[in-house]
Amino acid sequence: MSERPGRSRRLVRGVSSRLRRVLRVARWETARAGGGVDRRTALAALALLLVAVGVLGAGVAAGVVGLDVDRDVYRVGVDRDTPYAGAVEAEPSLTRVPAQRARLGDTADLVIVTSGPPDAAEAVTVLASNSRKGEAAAAAFREAVAAHNERVMAAEENRTAAFPITVTLQYVGRTSGLETDSTLGGDSDAGSGAGGESGGESGAGGGGSGDGGSDEGDVGGDGTAGSDAAGGSVADGDGGLAVPSVGGGAFRADTVGSPGSISPPFPFVSLLLAFVFLVPMNFLIQAYGSSILDERTNRRGEPLLVTPLSPVDIVAGKTLPYVAVAAVVTTLIALAVGGGALSVVAVLPVAMTFLGATFVGAMFARSFKELTFVTVGVSVLLTTYAFVPAIFTNVTPVALVSPLTLVVFDLQGEPVGLGEILFSTGPMTVGAALLFGLGLGVYREEDMFTQKPVGRKFLDALAVRLAAVGGATRPESLWGRLRPLAPVAFLTACTVPFVFVAELLAVALLFALPVTVSIPVLLVTIAFIEELAKSVHLYAGFERGAFARGDRVAVAVGSASAVGFFLAEKATAVVQAVGLTELYVGRAAFGSVAGVEGLPAIAIAGLFFAPLLLHGFTTVLAAVGASRNRTYYALTLALAALIHAAYNFGVVRLYA
Amino acid sequence: MRSRGSRLTIAGRELSGLRAEKTILLAIGIQLFIAAFSSFLVVGLVSMYDPGSLGGAEVEVAGAGDAVADLERAAAEVEGASVTRYEDAGAARLAFDRNAADAVVVANRNDDGRISAVVTAPDATVETTVIVVQLRDLLRTYERQERADRADYLSESPLPLPERTGTSPYFTFTYTVLIPVLVFLPVFISGSLVVDSITEEIDEGTFELLRVAPVTLGEIVDGKALAAVAIAPGQALLWLLLLRFNGTPVANVPSILALMTGLTTLVVALALAISALAPDRRAAQFLYSIGVLVLFGGATAMAGGPANAVARLAIDSADATTTALVVAYVGLAAVAYVGVRAIVAENGFEA
Repeated sequence: MSERPGRSRRLVRGVSSRLRRVLRVARWETARAGGGVDRRTALAALALLLVAVGVLGAGVAAGVVGLDVDRDVYRVGVDRDTPYAGAVEAEPSLTRVPAQRARLGDTADLVIVTSGPPDAAEAVTVLASNSRKGEAAAAAFREAVAAHNERVMAAEENRTAAFPITVTLQYVGRTSGLETDSTLGGDSDAGSGAGGESGGESGAGGGGSGDGGSDEGDVGGDGTAGSDAAGGSVADGDGGLAVPSVGGGAFRADTVGSPGSISPPFPFVSLLLAFVFLVPMNFLIQAYGSSILDERTNRRGEPLLVTPLSPVDIVAGKTLPYVAVAAVVTTLIALAVGGGALSVVAVLPVAMTFLGATFVGAMFARSFKELTFVTVGVSVLLTTYAFVPAIFTNVTPVALVSPLTLVVFDLQGEPVGLGEILFSTGPMTVGAALLFGLGLGVYREEDMFTQKPVGRKFLDALAVRLAAVGGATRPESLWGRLRPLAPVAFLTACTVPFVFVAELLAVALLFALPVTVSIPVLLVTIAFIEELAKSVHLYAGFERGAFARGDRVAVAVGSASAVGFFLAEKATAVVQAVGLTELYVGRAAFGSVAGVEGLPAIAIAGLFFAPLLLHGFTTVLAAVGASRNRTYYALTLALAALIHAAYNFGVVRLYA
Repeated sequence: MRSRGSRLTIAGRELSGLRAEKTILLAIGIQLFIAAFSSFLVVGLVSMYDPGSLGGAEVEVAGAGDAVADLERAAAEVEGASVTRYEDAGAARLAFDRNAADAVVVANRNDDGRISAVVTAPDATVETTVIVVQLRDLLRTYERQERADRADYLSESPLPLPERTGTSPYFTFTYTVLIPVLVFLPVFISGSLVVDSITEEIDEGTFELLRVAPVTLGEIVDGKALAAVAIAPGQALLWLLLLRFNGTPVANVPSILALMTGLTTLVVALALAISALAPDRRAAQFLYSIGVLVLFGGATAMAGGPANAVARLAIDSADATTTALVVAYVGLAAVAYVGVRAIVAENGFEA
């Protein structure tokens, strides 16, 4: 009894002294970084920005500024005195050439021929050059004429004739049985009436009451007020999944106007603002990567390594100021663009991942030049990974794989559940932690100050985490033999988030190909990614002498790795919850287990454990190769990937 | 003669460093990723916004109200939308709730002569965007027909629209965004390489060693700049050839390469100037990023910016102005480089 308070006090003391050490390193890093980017640099940057603002301002004043990258790309031959000339000149992507000088396919892509009086209905003939460019130019011309008409109508006196149709657009949930914009035009509580029904197919009752409101066609201020209350609180009552129907409240804003003013539900402005959060990261990781690599050039970091500080203290201390800067900048941006605490919570894991990936890059890079490429790579990869899913915010729940989706929700004023926040930020936080763990493995003298190729350093970083298996001393007990296998399984489990990201990227990259090509390529790619994830650390273990070379050891570590992967994969069955398996390509990637209800229990158990057998077989195969040498490893890895792909192909055939 | 040899030696040393670290492969990998991913993005977005491009997307509209006949007339003209008439709004809504219709449009004539259309679209489904885009098309056609009917009351009647033609927005995107991005990425990378190369030499003290060798500072700068400028057009050419191989012909390749080489020289001059001002790598890279952002952001925002010039050259819509622009950019780059080199050769780098 008396020991417990003592131990906890010791723990507190340990934590606080570690915190002090970390803070000391952080202070030192801040002082040093402040010296790096000195006042003169800051002033120079400010001067550059001022010049830019000045030039842009002058440009705006002179009227030559406009982000029209497609300015004047299509040439249209049209006479000055026809009314179409005005339409062409108002459209930036079109440029007018006089009709008599226009030769189709040479100096013009379109020629507009008007016959008869300009107000006659069938007066226009469009001659397009026979090419894809001609087609695109014709489409752009059609848009230009439509835009011109809208402008003419806007100047019209007779509003009724100019805009004969008023459109009221409302979005109504159909399958959930809950009205999302219930109280349109009245205070009869249609929402609660519909809510009383059970889920599934919504009955006529909810529909009727919604109609009663909209029939009056009188949607003023109270229409939008009503939609506020309904919002996206379509809770996950009946689904039982952590991820509710995300679009629930996303399309709630009702719009009233002419048909031309209808805009599809696309959160363009929020997306643009969300992107603003990512911009400072690129500068931050540049400074951070430089600081880490600085330690490694000219053995500058050596004095720090010989102090009683542990590598974790040093790295935490060096990283802390950058995290603080990220937090401050993110908060400032959130305040500026109107985001709340949720935006900050969502962006911080992204910042941590940026820093983690840069840390690993800076630990592996051999020179500043290499670091530059690594930084660019990290920026591009993470920016696309964070930004692209957010584009589909209102379309599919898969968008939540990116925390930026939360920012978009926050900026749109959507309520977001705790489950969604965890689902969105969790994987990235874990990923950042794992990246820092990987880099810390080589934060030691023999790796920091040597010019090893990236691949060998990567193997070092992995091998550091492994325990010796099958050495000279052989433990008698079963536990003693099994224990060193635990890190193997754990390391494999740690790769699962990265495997997931790699597979998502593969799906995205192969998306554009036709299905007949993309599915086979995807199956092989994904099998290869998984096999590599399961076996690369085994190869590292054999190469760095953590594992004794031999078939028995290979079988043991291979099986351990397979078990680790299997367990982690089952734990991330949440993938199915977000409905990724509904996409055909997604199903090929993640092997749906839907549709097994009708099978007997033994068959279900068989189906459940079949992947384990597969993983076991292929990983042991690769491990045996890895225990020999690099060539054997490459060959067995390819063979394992092919077997795995064949198995996946069978699964796809079974469920497709 | 000897000095040219020493310049080439320094350039060769720079290039072999890049080769040993295989960084150039990483650079090409990054560019490939951007190219592939932007295609994914555009194909995905286009299929959402232009359902016709996928073919066969048909939106079934439940129509009701006293103006439904006109709505049907409009639907006859719009591909991908069909209107089914229902007795009243309630019946139409029922069909919508039972998934028999994708959307409901209730069109009624008002007392003031306008038509009010109340549109109900499904919420929270993947197809919503597609449906709304089609509905907009339908309603705009409807509006156009109504305007034509009321043309007598208008002081200026709208112009007749030309026939709809099949085209893919991907075409415009490829030439106006993808090609400029792919052409300019190597430019930024080259400038960044120069900043790294110089600040690293200053940092590690090897610059002093190099200066002991019988070469002038100007020759060292020339050699480094030569290596950085030399690798840029090759990468751009690779992209343009790949695009041509994929069925996207790119016109005026020599002019595009001349323009991008000129810009690379300009950016390299900027990088040299910055590393001369701020020998610390962190500060230099920071200033370089800001400088490039300002330079290209500003230039793109102006009429006749380099991105637009490349787009017009690639799509074969170039005219005399574009050629003049290319010449102007190349001239500007030459002047900038010679100027910066002269200043650096005179004053040296701050170490």
